[in-house]
Amino acid sequence: MTRLSKFLRRGFGIAIILIVGAAGAFAPWLGTVDPNASSSDILAASSAAHWLGTDELGRDIYSRVLYGARISLIIGPAAALVALAIGAPIGLVAGYSRGKIDMLLVQGIDVFIAMPGLIIALMITVMVGATAQNLVLVLGFVMWPEMARIVRSLVLGLRDVFFVEAARSMGCSVFQLLTIHILPNIMRTIAAQFAILVSSAIFTAASLGFLGLGLPPPAADWGTMVQTGFDYLSLNPLLSLAPGTAVAFTVLGFYLIGQAVD
Amino acid sequence: MAGFILRRLMWFLPNAVILTFVLFAAVTVWLGSPAAMMLGRDASPAAIAEINTVYGFDLPTWQQYLRWIGAALTGDFGRSYASHQAVSAMILPAIPITLELTAWAILLALVTSLGLNSLAVGRHVIGVLSSGFSIVGITFPNFMLGAILIYVFSVKLGWLPTAGWIPWQSGVIDHLTHLIMPVLTLFAYYFGSFSMIYRAEYRAVDQQLYVRVAHSKGLSPTRVSFRHILPNAVLPVVTFIGISIGRLVGGAVVTETVFSIPGLGRLFVGAIASYDFPVVLAMGMIVLTSVMICNLLADIVLASLNPQIRL
Repeated sequence: MTRLSKFLRRGFGIAIILIVGAAGAFAPWLGTVDPNASSSDILAASSAAHWLGTDELGRDIYSRVLYGARISLIIGPAAALVALAIGAPIGLVAGYSRGKIDMLLVQGIDVFIAMPGLIIALMITVMVGATAQNLVLVLGFVMWPEMARIVRSLVLGLRDVFFVEAARSMGCSVFQLLTIHILPNIMRTIAAQFAILVSSAIFTAASLGFLGLGLPPPAADWGTMVQTGFDYLSLNPLLSLAPGTAVAFTVLGFYLIGQAVD
Repeated sequence: MAGFILRRLMWFLPNAVILTFVLFAAVTVWLGSPAAMMLGRDASPAAIAEINTVYGFDLPTWQQYLRWIGAALTGDFGRSYASHQAVSAMILPAIPITLELTAWAILLALVTSLGLNSLAVGRHVIGVLSSGFSIVGITFPNFMLGAILIYVFSVKLGWLPTAGWIPWQSGVIDHLTHLIMPVLTLFAYYFGSFSMIYRAEYRAVDQQLYVRVAHSKGLSPTRVSFRHILPNAVLPVVTFIGISIGRLVGGAVVTETVFSIPGLGRLFVGAIASYDFPVVLAMGMIVLTSVMICNLLADIVLASLNPQIRL
């Protein structure tokens, strides 16, 4: 990737996240009406009163999409944080220790990485119930192996580098080596991976919502809105397409940011 | 080599036992009392106790696990609580459907991603297009793509049927028209991932000396890219396909739900939604073991190609 295209991608990604973030943050002012207020005006097409029309309960789609940004922007990063909290320490330990411990951890990481994340997330979400808190934990649990694998390979590349060896020979403990000398050098790539995980968490959360395991009503969950709208595609396609576009847009934003860092 | 395979198998078996047990225990614990579920809410305690003894639900988890594995090895996965059909009779007909859908999507993605990205040498426009497409393919949710396709081609234009699955026997044309949109939806993701992997490898191969030789022989860029680089850059894509076989069901879940295709993904979602524990358990176990076997095979194949790994 050239520098220019990296710069463009990063800029584009940041712009998207700022827009979505502003939409979520200022939803009460940008929104035209209460997102949960139903009216008798159901499945209306877009009009001056309801910019994107109304859903099957007569709620304003535009306002609901705005409020949905809040949910996605909280669940996505929070889930990625959980993945970071589990994956990074495991990756650090696996990358630094050779032999049995590394092999054991790598086995675990490999098995989990190959698992279809959505299937696992579906199974666990049904068991524990779809609350915001549970979704964050489930998505984080599904994603930690990605983080662990990246961190491990980064540490592996650094553990025998000259400055680390120098620090080791000066009597640094393993903990000091990892936290003071290795971690700061891999922070950039971890941050990039973090952004990718946020995008994949939002993606998976929306897919869960679409499959009927989104946040319980009346939460303005984008995935759930798309699913509801599917039955009314011929009446008001925006009911599906508006929140769907919001998901695609947000996922793209985080993905571009993560991808544009080397 | 034999030693390596043996060592990997020694890892595989305990891993498989532990993971399948964890899955079994998780599903069983979550379920609570299957007897109450089978008999309905008004079941008498005596009837529940009877069911418990007949099916062994009152045994410790590890004994139930052994019984389940024993039966599963003979092809008996129990009966569905919802439809009372044998689970194997529900899963078997769904397999070819998901396989066909995915095979079409993977084939199409393979041809287009390799072709487009190989063509992109020296043609800036195609390069930008294909990297744009692959980012969209990876980040665009498939339910969204499905919604757009249905809206445009079924609702607005009326060219294609919205959803459903027509088997070959009931008409080849019908079969294919029902396939177009689901295949396209599933294709997008595969196209994106294949392109990403292929482009990275392509760039590495492009640096090799023999590529420069081919250029200096006076071959056209297209010929160099297809004849000399493509065959050497395609391996990681093939490996990726091999490893992601286990993810096949996962990939198809959303697409099959969007288009009401009676494949494995939709069966799974339906079973989850109706708390149909034997179906969920059987499918979870099948996915789990097939993933582990694919990993094992991939390791063995890679080791046979690269002696360093065997150490």
